[in-house]
Amino acid sequence: MAAHLSYGRVNLNILREAARKELREFLDKCAGSKAIVWDEYLTGPFGLIAQYSLLKEHEVEKMFTLKSGRLPAADVKNIIFFVRPRLELMDIIAENIISEDKMHSPRDFHILFVPRRSMLCEQRLKEQGVLASFINIEEYILDLIPYDGDLLSMEYESAFRECYLENDQTSLYHTAKGLMTLQALYGTIPQIYGKGECARHVANMMLRMKREFAGSQNQILPVFDTLLLLDRNVDLLTPLATQLTYEGLIDEVYGITNGYVKLPPEKFAQKKQGEASKDLPTEPKKLQLNSAEELYAEIRDKNFNAVGAALSKKAKIISAAFEERHNAKTVGEIKQFVSQLPHMQAARSSLANHTSIAELIKDITTSEAFFDNLTVEQEFMTGVETDKVNTYIEDSIAQKDPLIKILRLVSMQSVCNNGLKQKVFDYYRREILQTYGYEHILTLNNLEKAGLLKLQSNSRNNYPTIRKTLKLWMEDANEQNPNDISYVYSGYAPLSIRLTQVLARPGWRSIEEVLKMLPGPHFEERQQLPAGLHKKRQQGENRTTLVFFLGGVSYAEIAALRFLSQMEDSGMEYIIATTKLLNGTTWIKSLMDRPEAQTS
Amino acid sequence: MLGEAVRQCVEAAGHEYDSITQKDLLRAASFGKCFLTDFVPDPFVLTCRELRVLNSVRESSVGLPLTHTQFKQMTLQVLIDRQFYPLAIEICRYLKIPDYQGVSRVLKHWASCKVQQKDLTDEAIARAVCVKVGDSPGVSYSHIAAKAYECGRTELAIKLLDFEARSGEQVPLLLKMKRSQLALSKAVESGDTDLVYTVVTYLKNEMNRGDFFMTLRNQPVALSLYRQFCKLQEQETLKDLYNQDDDHQELANYQVTASYREKSAVDEYNKAKNEFSAKATEDEMRLLRFQRKLDDEKGAGLLGLSLQATMEALLALGLHKQAEQLYRDFRVPDKRYWWLKLKSLAEKEEWEELEKFSKSKKSPIGYLAFVDVCMKSNNRFEAKKYVSKVMPEQRVRAHLAVSDLEGAADAAIERKNESEMALVLSRSSTSDRLLIDRLNRAATVAKK
Repeated sequence: MAAHLSYGRVNLNILREAARKELREFLDKCAGSKAIVWDEYLTGPFGLIAQYSLLKEHEVEKMFTLKSGRLPAADVKNIIFFVRPRLELMDIIAENIISEDKMHSPRDFHILFVPRRSMLCEQRLKEQGVLASFINIEEYILDLIPYDGDLLSMEYESAFRECYLENDQTSLYHTAKGLMTLQALYGTIPQIYGKGECARHVANMMLRMKREFAGSQNQILPVFDTLLLLDRNVDLLTPLATQLTYEGLIDEVYGITNGYVKLPPEKFAQKKQGEASKDLPTEPKKLQLNSAEELYAEIRDKNFNAVGAALSKKAKIISAAFEERHNAKTVGEIKQFVSQLPHMQAARSSLANHTSIAELIKDITTSEAFFDNLTVEQEFMTGVETDKVNTYIEDSIAQKDPLIKILRLVSMQSVCNNGLKQKVFDYYRREILQTYGYEHILTLNNLEKAGLLKLQSNSRNNYPTIRKTLKLWMEDANEQNPNDISYVYSGYAPLSIRLTQVLARPGWRSIEEVLKMLPGPHFEERQQLPAGLHKKRQQGENRTTLVFFLGGVSYAEIAALRFLSQMEDSGMEYIIATTKLLNGTTWIKSLMDRPEAQTS
Repeated sequence: MLGEAVRQCVEAAGHEYDSITQKDLLRAASFGKCFLTDFVPDPFVLTCRELRVLNSVRESSVGLPLTHTQFKQMTLQVLIDRQFYPLAIEICRYLKIPDYQGVSRVLKHWASCKVQQKDLTDEAIARAVCVKVGDSPGVSYSHIAAKAYECGRTELAIKLLDFEARSGEQVPLLLKMKRSQLALSKAVESGDTDLVYTVVTYLKNEMNRGDFFMTLRNQPVALSLYRQFCKLQEQETLKDLYNQDDDHQELANYQVTASYREKSAVDEYNKAKNEFSAKATEDEMRLLRFQRKLDDEKGAGLLGLSLQATMEALLALGLHKQAEQLYRDFRVPDKRYWWLKLKSLAEKEEWEELEKFSKSKKSPIGYLAFVDVCMKSNNRFEAKKYVSKVMPEQRVRAHLAVSDLEGAADAAIERKNESEMALVLSRSSTSDRLLIDRLNRAATVAKK
């Protein structure tokens, strides 16, 4: 069912199985029929661990969404609350339980905190007088969720906001705990590198936690050679740029949530003969996107301009395969053909889906608006006129384009210019407030706090130096047959991935100057391995690095890392972990106050 | 038969008190087993081991005359209770009992007794415990510290807690000992925010408000967590916190969030030396006054709209003079105002007004915008009026926008611009033979 998790260099299915086992154990603790009351936020991440069938096998008969008032009627013995440890949710639970008691129904209550139980929350339940109603209060440690064969995500949406705006490091604690779980399953990671304040904090906590477990030596042969911790604020630029890989564009245009995308249904109407003009489906088409789908794994990381060719090549292969049936003469040959049919049919429907998606996206990428926007982004990234008010931004504001688009562009200009001049800064801010409303002053203040917008200080603009040293802009990016990571943004090589690449070879010592220009400390730590666990490396065997993006990572960055893994001479394989998968839009949205007031 | 004899010798040795007889019996067994082919050595080895242990506890200095059967029932506890710690440890190691159940248990017990020795200083005891216990797995310093605290030795307990690696274990005891400040810093050190919250909640109930705030000030991490808590739970406290810290920027933001109390927000932004925000807030107040007035007079329903939306609404209502006033009062850039007015007039299909407006002065947004907006309202007739005014470099686009291929071709040829010609070509259908030929010819010329 989750075979795609075990194909990669590191078998991430072990982690998923461990998580499933723990879930089953908890469910069996509450004997008898049960209903689960869900904190809605959790349903997406849980879907990556267990489908409804697993719950059903353990006598889960009903599922509800947590909301205030009375619990819906259900003829079950156990009511289990699956919740994040948040005070506001405790109040709702208390309300549920208090109104329940009046009905005198003999049901057992349980609570499962994800990812960790919290004394604060239990205290709140106690104050509300319902703590004693619970038979089981447990925690379900779900920090790193296997998202794909080489990808782990915590699905922790607010991590960046909490770390950089609110100075709340809860997500980092969970990160460190998650990395400890990972090490318990895959062995101690001998080398840790990092860049940024949060990275330093996580590394410190990891080393501290290791001391806490002193004595219980981990006897597993290490799977990962290196861990690289990167703060998102070391590279604020990359997520702001429009991703140009296939998967990246799907995310930019339609948004991928917990591995699923919702698409406009018109393109996916079943065209069966005889019922041609049946009414079109109105529900959006929901598709799961991961490497379990062969074709998707092949094209997801390509530059969008290379996807068309890949699709038509695939179409030819598939129709050739179907043609084979005419050559099947003997019973044996026919039998063999038939046995391959299901696979071929799946391939054909997958091809049909992706052709439709590619068409939808092409409509957008070939539009003038998309082109103009991209041109401005590329101007900024190459350092063209970043110190003046940009006409395109000005016009977009006048046209009342979506606010997030404006904020993305202005932030990008600010980052590429190491801050905006006072006059330019004030002009943009005034334009935004006058057009989109004064209430956005809070959002502007937030962006300033996060460093996305800033006033140019007297110091020199160091972005050009960073760009040149790290070769962030490649003039001759090859989109069809890439030879460098810059293909993912058609010219711009993501800073975060360049840092990763340089670390592998020739090492960070060669870019000390640039590292000093980027925020936060950079460091290296070693973790002692017990004797006998030192790997004896085969000639030509690749090393494995786990790259952890604290505060989120974009699909295009992941594509770039996958590209590096596949390069023959890189000698390095990358596994990616993050607090959350993001793009410029979802990222800026997470930093807005009162986003519901945003004009779309 | 021989096998049975060997077995009995071994068993007898186990029950024998006299070590010489034990030896004799074991030697006999050892001799006998040489003639056996399928002898299992384990019972023999085990008995030897056990006899060594038994003999050592039967020594007069220990004085435990245990029988073998009793020994089998005995747990480590027996030795520990008699405080024969070194011997207990040796035995554990000798019998290869896992550290967790063996040595660590002895050490834990030893340390718990050690802390009760009244004749030693805190310093000495702490050092002694640390040297002996070190990092042994399974020995909890907080457990030892709790013992010390029970015996009334708080200082010692604190010293011992310092060795505890698991902060989660330190904090509750520290709170119990009323060392709340220390508990707070330990909680912060652990990185476990839930633990920090727990201490903060405890402190809040224990201390008076002033002291509480002062304590938080020294712990920025705890302070920001408490702020988050207040943001969700106690808005009023949040204000007090900002006030105490003289954080005017946040106070202003707070005023803005709470209920748009702009007047005080302006003051705070000013105090925070955030000129931009102060000015923006003043502008907002001005706008609100304006909106209220017009709402009263004309029932325009403007309150709460952005400046742009207000002007938009005014134009839609035909209140041009008022829109104009806002445009001037708030120093709206020409470009934005022109776009606004252009769109609004086109939407209301006031084409004459639009033409007048276009001539009022040189358009800051150019005239292609006029063409596009007219076309959006499907009025090609009006759109055409503005094509000739469009800047040369945009003229091809303008002609194409109104579907005038001839004009577009002329403009492109005139500008000798290849890519523009190609653009026109791509739009023409095959029936436009003449046009295509003309363009192709011009393109060849341009290439030369």
